[in-house]
Amino acid sequence: MRMFAVFKREYFQVVRKKSFLILTVLMPFLLAGLMIVPAALAMKGLSGKRVAVVDATGALSHAIEEERHREASPAARGPAGFAIGERGRSAGPLELTIEYVPAPRDSETILRETLARLNEASRRNPQRVDGVLAIPSDALSNPAARMTYYTRTSADFMTQERLARLVNHALVRIRLTGRGLAANEIDGLLRSAPLESVAISSTGAKKKGGELNFLAAFVFILLLLLPMLIYGQEIMRGIVAEKTDRVVEILVSSMSAMELLAGKVLGLAAAGLTQVGVWLSMGAVAAGFAGAASAGAGFRPLDLINPRLMVFFLVFYVLGYLVYACIYAVGGAISNSDKEAQQVAAPLILVIMIPWILAMPMLQSPQSALAVTLSLVPIFTPITMFLRIVVSEPPAWQIALSILLSVITIYILFWITAKIFRVGILSYGKRPTIPELVKWLKLA
Amino acid sequence: MREPLTKVLELFDVTKVFGATRAVDSASFAVRPGRICGLLGRNGAGKTTTLRMVNGIFLPDRGRIELFGGEPRAAARDRIGYLPEERGLYKKMKVFEQLLFFAEIKRRRPAEVRKSAQHWLSRLELAPLAQARLEELSKGNQQKVQLVAALLHEPELLILDEPLSGLDPVNVVLVRHILKDLARAGRAILLSTHQMGEAEKLVDEIVLIHEGRVVLAGDLEQIRRSTGQNTLHLGFEGDGLSLSHAPGVERASVQTCTAELTLAAGADPQRVLEYLVPRLRIRRFEVASPSLEEIFIERVGRETLVAEAAS
Repeated sequence: MRMFAVFKREYFQVVRKKSFLILTVLMPFLLAGLMIVPAALAMKGLSGKRVAVVDATGALSHAIEEERHREASPAARGPAGFAIGERGRSAGPLELTIEYVPAPRDSETILRETLARLNEASRRNPQRVDGVLAIPSDALSNPAARMTYYTRTSADFMTQERLARLVNHALVRIRLTGRGLAANEIDGLLRSAPLESVAISSTGAKKKGGELNFLAAFVFILLLLLPMLIYGQEIMRGIVAEKTDRVVEILVSSMSAMELLAGKVLGLAAAGLTQVGVWLSMGAVAAGFAGAASAGAGFRPLDLINPRLMVFFLVFYVLGYLVYACIYAVGGAISNSDKEAQQVAAPLILVIMIPWILAMPMLQSPQSALAVTLSLVPIFTPITMFLRIVVSEPPAWQIALSILLSVITIYILFWITAKIFRVGILSYGKRPTIPELVKWLKLA
Repeated sequence: MREPLTKVLELFDVTKVFGATRAVDSASFAVRPGRICGLLGRNGAGKTTTLRMVNGIFLPDRGRIELFGGEPRAAARDRIGYLPEERGLYKKMKVFEQLLFFAEIKRRRPAEVRKSAQHWLSRLELAPLAQARLEELSKGNQQKVQLVAALLHEPELLILDEPLSGLDPVNVVLVRHILKDLARAGRAILLSTHQMGEAEKLVDEIVLIHEGRVVLAGDLEQIRRSTGQNTLHLGFEGDGLSLSHAPGVERASVQTCTAELTLAAGADPQRVLEYLVPRLRIRRFEVASPSLEEIFIERVGRETLVAEAAS
């Protein structure tokens, strides 16, 4: 009952805050924005590209023109095709304007003049170009010939890659024509097979949408990480505040350290769960709509919010939260001010972020030694194991072992925390050293 | 039916050491039902450490603390109310909600104490502030809320660390009445203070603690009587400087228009009066026991004050 009183207080203290409400409501939009805005920006960046191709062979004009048409045609590129040529009339968002500059003679001079246009300041000036591709005069005869791409920003590898593919196709087309092949034969030869990724589960069921899994994995990591960071810190701040306000004297004289700690940790866990619950249901609703809208396109986002995954999410949320809550509670117990507590928390945040940093390689190979090892280390288990479950099907024994190890760790941590908590919470004055902490453990 | 206890709390040779300092050194005393016991001492004398040990916040290094005739700590918890020094409340929480919380951790259902919380708030003139956040209250009002938080669950033993600090004179009287009423109802109260004037009006028993040691303990009236009628309480007009030179006066504590003169053994109060009449206009002249402040200074403050006078 005492524990329940603490639980209730902590829960409502957080849930009633305006910041909680705001974060709960805005987070999904923020998250969506975080994913959509960069993508939209990237597309916008591509749309306005104008590139000059300085051709020293002087023979590629027709072939490049043909490639542009092939790229633009829906048959070759699918529904989200590229449009090359006049602006404004395009079908897709990715626009690339290619200006063909023949330079069979005086190629050096022409290239120099064209390069000068890179520095044209006004975006509106039709003379301005974003990149210049130079094709050497021996491009058709010399197998070792190299093309050069000049640009103000070296980071635009997407345009560069597209351009290279396009011009290379044109070169191949000319070379093949030289061998006497007909245009329609060449078309057939150049056609590449589209690729679709299919993940096979142990039961043999196939599921589509590799990229979507990838995205979902990141969203789920965020959903696991954020509450850990927010409510872990909240526990720490709460304890420091109780210490400075001396409330802790009343609490400690009214109940055992275990009751107090359990009430606090569980109260905030419930607050976090409430928040994540709201997020997930908002996500489910949104996915429902998106699913209905995109059913024709072949993927069903609701597949990602299936009951099995939700159960695992809950399990790993609780495990992860409890591990860090204990550590944060110790941080609060041994600190005397928010500032001191922040210093204690800083390295902890780094540790929490490790799975986030390693998420990419682990997502790409969820059965690798790195991923398996990390997912069995209790402090990393919640995020890494859950991540593996989202994108692959780890062996059941690994899942079971990771949960078991986490539970044992939490049990031990809780015990240690309660002891340090009991002594540390009352030690006003300087922060204890590690040997002092060990002494406390023996003492309490 | 529980047998009435004669001692709600008893300390036996309790010692607490912090590093090299003995914060509390072999302290022994008892608190009885229906009595208000004042733990008196200078700053740093060991009052708060003693109260924290009684509350189970610190464990004594040596000695024993017996609650309710030997009840285990876990069971005794709910029967004690504690008001820590300065503040022990949540700043961001509303007053009423906060009171219910502190009763709930003493295992009283919020529904049970709701009414009495309202009663106490109105008795302490806090009723309009019930829905305010604690941080919006003045220091004195916070202190009163703290008092309600300590007694709402009707504890048999009330431990108050400096309960009067930050209160204006009206509130001091209000709180004094409440504490006296509680004692009359059979509760035991142990409070610490360094305001001797207030303690004198409030407590039945004193435990005088100096540098961790109990230097004087017992019924206040008895202690005063045992020191004898060796003190002159004066009210006067004029320059009080001459007071300390009066014949037979061992020590004089002089305020603007009142003074307390400690007489040497065998000195005649009449001679002092004769000496004073031509020098000062006398408003009041009383031969009585020393005040608690005088007893206090006599026992624990002598060296400091003598050293200061010499410098």
